[in-house]
Amino acid sequence: MEQRKHRNRKFNIKSFFRFAEKGTNVDLPLLVITIILLGVGLIMLYSASYVKGLYERGDSLHYIKDQALYAAAGLGIMMFVSKWDYHIWRRYTLLILGITYILLVLVFFMPEINYANRWIFIPGGPTFQPSEIAKFTVILIFADWIQRFGTQKMRTFKYGLLPFLILLGSIAGLVIVEPHISATLIICAIGAIMMWIGGTNEKFFFLGVLLVVLAVVMAYFLNPAGLWDRAMSRITAWQNPESDLRGSGYQSYQSLLAIGSGGLFGLGLGNSRQKHLHLPEPQNDFIFAVICEELGFIGGMLVICLFLALLLRGMYIAFRAKDKFGAMLVVGVISQITIQAFLNIAVATNTIPNTGISLPFFSEGGTSLLMLLGEMGIVLSVSRYANLEKGE
Amino acid sequence: MDKNSKVNQNKVTSKMSKRANLVMLFVFLGVACIVYNMINVQIVNYEEYKVKASSIQLRDTKISPKRGTIYDRNMKVLAQSATVWTVFVSPAESDEEQHARIAEKLEEILGADRERTLEKLKKTSSYYEIIEYKIDKPEADAIRQWCQEEEIDGVNLVEDYKRYYPYGSFAATILGFCGTDNQGLAGLESYYDEELTGVQGRVISAKNGWGLDMGYEYEELNAARNGYSLVTTIDETIQHFLEKRLSAKVEEYNVQCRGVGIVMNVKTGEIYAMSTKPDFDPNQPFEIYDEEVKAAIEAITDDAEYNNAVSQARQTQWRNKAVSDLYEPGSVFKIVTAASALDSGAATTHTGFYCKGYVEVGGWRIKCNQTSGHGPLTFEQALIQSCNPSFIDMGQRMGIQTFVDYFESFGMSEKTGIDLPGEQKSITYNAQTMNETSLASNSFGQTFKVTPIQMITAVATAVNGGNLVTPHLVSSLVDEDGNVVKDLTPEPKRQVISEEVSELICGMLLENGTNYNARWSYVPGYRVGGKSGTSQKLDTAMDDDYIASYVGVAPCDDPEIAILIFFDEPRTYSYYGGNLSGPVVGDLMGEILPYLGVEPVYTEAEKANVSQHVNYVTGQNVTDARVTLQRAGFNVKVVGSGNTVVSQFPLNSMKVQKGSIVVLYTDADTESVMVTVPDLTNKSASDAENIMRGLGLNVKFSGVSASGSDAVVISQAIPSGEKIPMGTVVEINLTTTTAFE
Repeated sequence: MEQRKHRNRKFNIKSFFRFAEKGTNVDLPLLVITIILLGVGLIMLYSASYVKGLYERGDSLHYIKDQALYAAAGLGIMMFVSKWDYHIWRRYTLLILGITYILLVLVFFMPEINYANRWIFIPGGPTFQPSEIAKFTVILIFADWIQRFGTQKMRTFKYGLLPFLILLGSIAGLVIVEPHISATLIICAIGAIMMWIGGTNEKFFFLGVLLVVLAVVMAYFLNPAGLWDRAMSRITAWQNPESDLRGSGYQSYQSLLAIGSGGLFGLGLGNSRQKHLHLPEPQNDFIFAVICEELGFIGGMLVICLFLALLLRGMYIAFRAKDKFGAMLVVGVISQITIQAFLNIAVATNTIPNTGISLPFFSEGGTSLLMLLGEMGIVLSVSRYANLEKGE
Repeated sequence: MDKNSKVNQNKVTSKMSKRANLVMLFVFLGVACIVYNMINVQIVNYEEYKVKASSIQLRDTKISPKRGTIYDRNMKVLAQSATVWTVFVSPAESDEEQHARIAEKLEEILGADRERTLEKLKKTSSYYEIIEYKIDKPEADAIRQWCQEEEIDGVNLVEDYKRYYPYGSFAATILGFCGTDNQGLAGLESYYDEELTGVQGRVISAKNGWGLDMGYEYEELNAARNGYSLVTTIDETIQHFLEKRLSAKVEEYNVQCRGVGIVMNVKTGEIYAMSTKPDFDPNQPFEIYDEEVKAAIEAITDDAEYNNAVSQARQTQWRNKAVSDLYEPGSVFKIVTAASALDSGAATTHTGFYCKGYVEVGGWRIKCNQTSGHGPLTFEQALIQSCNPSFIDMGQRMGIQTFVDYFESFGMSEKTGIDLPGEQKSITYNAQTMNETSLASNSFGQTFKVTPIQMITAVATAVNGGNLVTPHLVSSLVDEDGNVVKDLTPEPKRQVISEEVSELICGMLLENGTNYNARWSYVPGYRVGGKSGTSQKLDTAMDDDYIASYVGVAPCDDPEIAILIFFDEPRTYSYYGGNLSGPVVGDLMGEILPYLGVEPVYTEAEKANVSQHVNYVTGQNVTDARVTLQRAGFNVKVVGSGNTVVSQFPLNSMKVQKGSIVVLYTDADTESVMVTVPDLTNKSASDAENIMRGLGLNVKFSGVSASGSDAVVISQAIPSGEKIPMGTVVEINLTTTTAFE
């Protein structure tokens, strides 16, 4: 009791963990949403993965063991990062950019997995995807530039578009040749959203939309390397997955069966049948199908609502941030999470054609979870400084 | 200021939040699409997806219940299901390198064609390719052991059941038989199919994406319940007595359309035994057992004709004539007419009848069996003499309405409700359709048709105190642990005649069975009553096709059992029910009544003839032995000059009648004295006995009572000319020279 009264302000482990400390507190709702997502994510990952772990690795805890360790470490990192003044990141933008480029090149010297160079293997240690780091790099540098250039310059071609395109082009270019289409897509989407909110002139966006339409028309008429045909067959399989059970329709069909047989209330936690080797990647791309099967429509909606709550609270924080840099950091991180969650769920429900994207906080993948929680730490830090200003 | 403007410059602008709102709008639109899809998939089309998912996730396995056992009344097994196995391969689970060995081994153990097995094993996505159905335990064990030792995957055995009838061709028309899927196709197997079958179990088990069962994830939709067992009223011993006698006589009499025998408890309606001969072996019911028919069928070359003939032959051998055939009961029915007449008051035991050899009814002249006429008859004599005009008189005294009322009350117009399939409905008159002529013919048992089971039930009613019983074969259903699930003993249907009348009828039948026509069924001490019946088959081509039947009841002071024996188209020295069927009833009574523990009560005359064990006198002083045997009522003949009995014949274990000769040998080296058997055919009973006694041989009479002066020898157990030891008992079969229908 005595000790608590006379705590050491310079180094106090307790105050380190005290997020809601008056005057320096982080945004509590966002913290709660994050922890709920992480908790539910871990439970569902365990449920979704133990069968696969048991059959394919002989250990039902195979996936959840690592994930739980990373989640614990990630929480620590999140708390730690949230304590920092987020402006510290501006000092290291060039360093981080350099490291990102190095890693994105290094990945081509790593062994291929499924004909793709996406992973970096640290001997005896974890593996990770530099594309995950690249996402953060894009967010950080874009946020920095948007504040640095200011509203007026952002509307010009020289500042508001060219540097952004060069950076995005170089990073996305490296990722797409790995090849890693979905990561490229996400990186570009994050960049575009940040530019849009950051103040890039809207006419460049109209131009961009025009270019995309033109590209589609060209593809239709020129059909380079049968690209159009392939795209069409992909779309047919998407619209009617049952028609192509031996090909790309298989995964979507199994996912739909899982979601459909869940019904309104689901089969109960742990009772998924589709995860018994019917559903591909139940611990990763199709974890949402397992959620819908076990927890029903209600459970699926709950997860969607959690992500929406994260989005709304994130935006709330962004536009109450102390400065544009903080706001854009939050916009970037929340965009990344929202885009990934949206795409993953849209694929699982066959709302869009199949592409492999993991569900943030849920899907198996330790290093990406670390990255995610670290980024959430930055968001919390932004929220803390925003509140700090109000508090004073 | 500069710093302030810099700060302002870094502030988030409202334009940014407007643009952010636009982005969020897109996000919400996208989420709406997702939610729309989820509602579609999870709520609107839930059932469709559930069914589709189940089809890939679940395996529906049926568990066949074990069919119940059929027991006789003493819990002896008459039909039983034994476990057999069906062998199948799962190519999807097997190792391709083992295929050749699997095919080879299955050929070695089961004789399954190697090429066909290999062909089945090629279907690598299949889990279920049947190799052989219903293999027995040794083969199943061999396969299992081999698979275990050689670590073979993909060869599987599932349990199934096969029906066994341990006694073979025994009670076949009662028990019926089962088809390949263990479904009852005839007899009790068919009638109680549902009870015997039990409830099929259904297990839904989850399978994973590799198609393997997930043992821990299953749901038992229906628990399998093994079939109930039937405890029948059949007595295996009595059934054996019946079948043995019936088979022998069907052969001896060259019966064309099979013979029927029923042994029934008159008080309860329990069927102790029932048989139609010749029949079949329920273990192989589809074979044709009549050799002549089989040979004839095999000669048929036309396929359709052949199949037709086979099917007809099978139907014939499976048919249970006791319940499925209709016949005109003839004189046996006179028991019913007599009982009705007495009970209705239309006649009394003191009523007198007169027979002039015929009677005119409605312009028809109906003859009596004794065309010269019986003359004046008492009621009892009318029944005993089986006098048709007297019974026509009884029918006329009752009138159509009363006669029909009793007729129906005796159950002649309705099915008995016996628990067997295929019971025929009788063809009879009712009060509206009957006229004077048909009343007359009905009165002595003609122009209507009933089943044998109906007839014996009516007789049982007449003698059991007047209660119409329901003949039945199953007394209770029991479960696997022997607990009674359901008692199936039926209640008596109704009181038809008074106890007094029933007693009177018993007395008349006993008199008939002991001293008069029906003494073919006579068994010393057991008070067997009976009535014979012979009916011409008017609806067949041949004029001389007859059904010879006979009903016996015993013991007549308190009847226990009734026996009906019925030969359809005998081709032998006689076609009369008394001559042919009567002795069978008598023989059966002689076996069944002691078996049932009915105490014999001998008349003075019978006492003299009772068989008894020969005293054991070997080793005794000759004088003592002689005295002992003579006191016991035996005649003694001593062979040799010794003082001590060295051996005796008949032995102590043998039963012989009083007055029989016992030969005592007194010298150790004396061989048995041999006597040549004479030919006794057509000798009267007393002559035959005297001749045999003179030779030092003993006799035992069978067939009709030897007390009648008209009893003559029809056959002898040991043919003439054979040399047999002095003292041997020779069985002599008697019949009478007078033929009665």
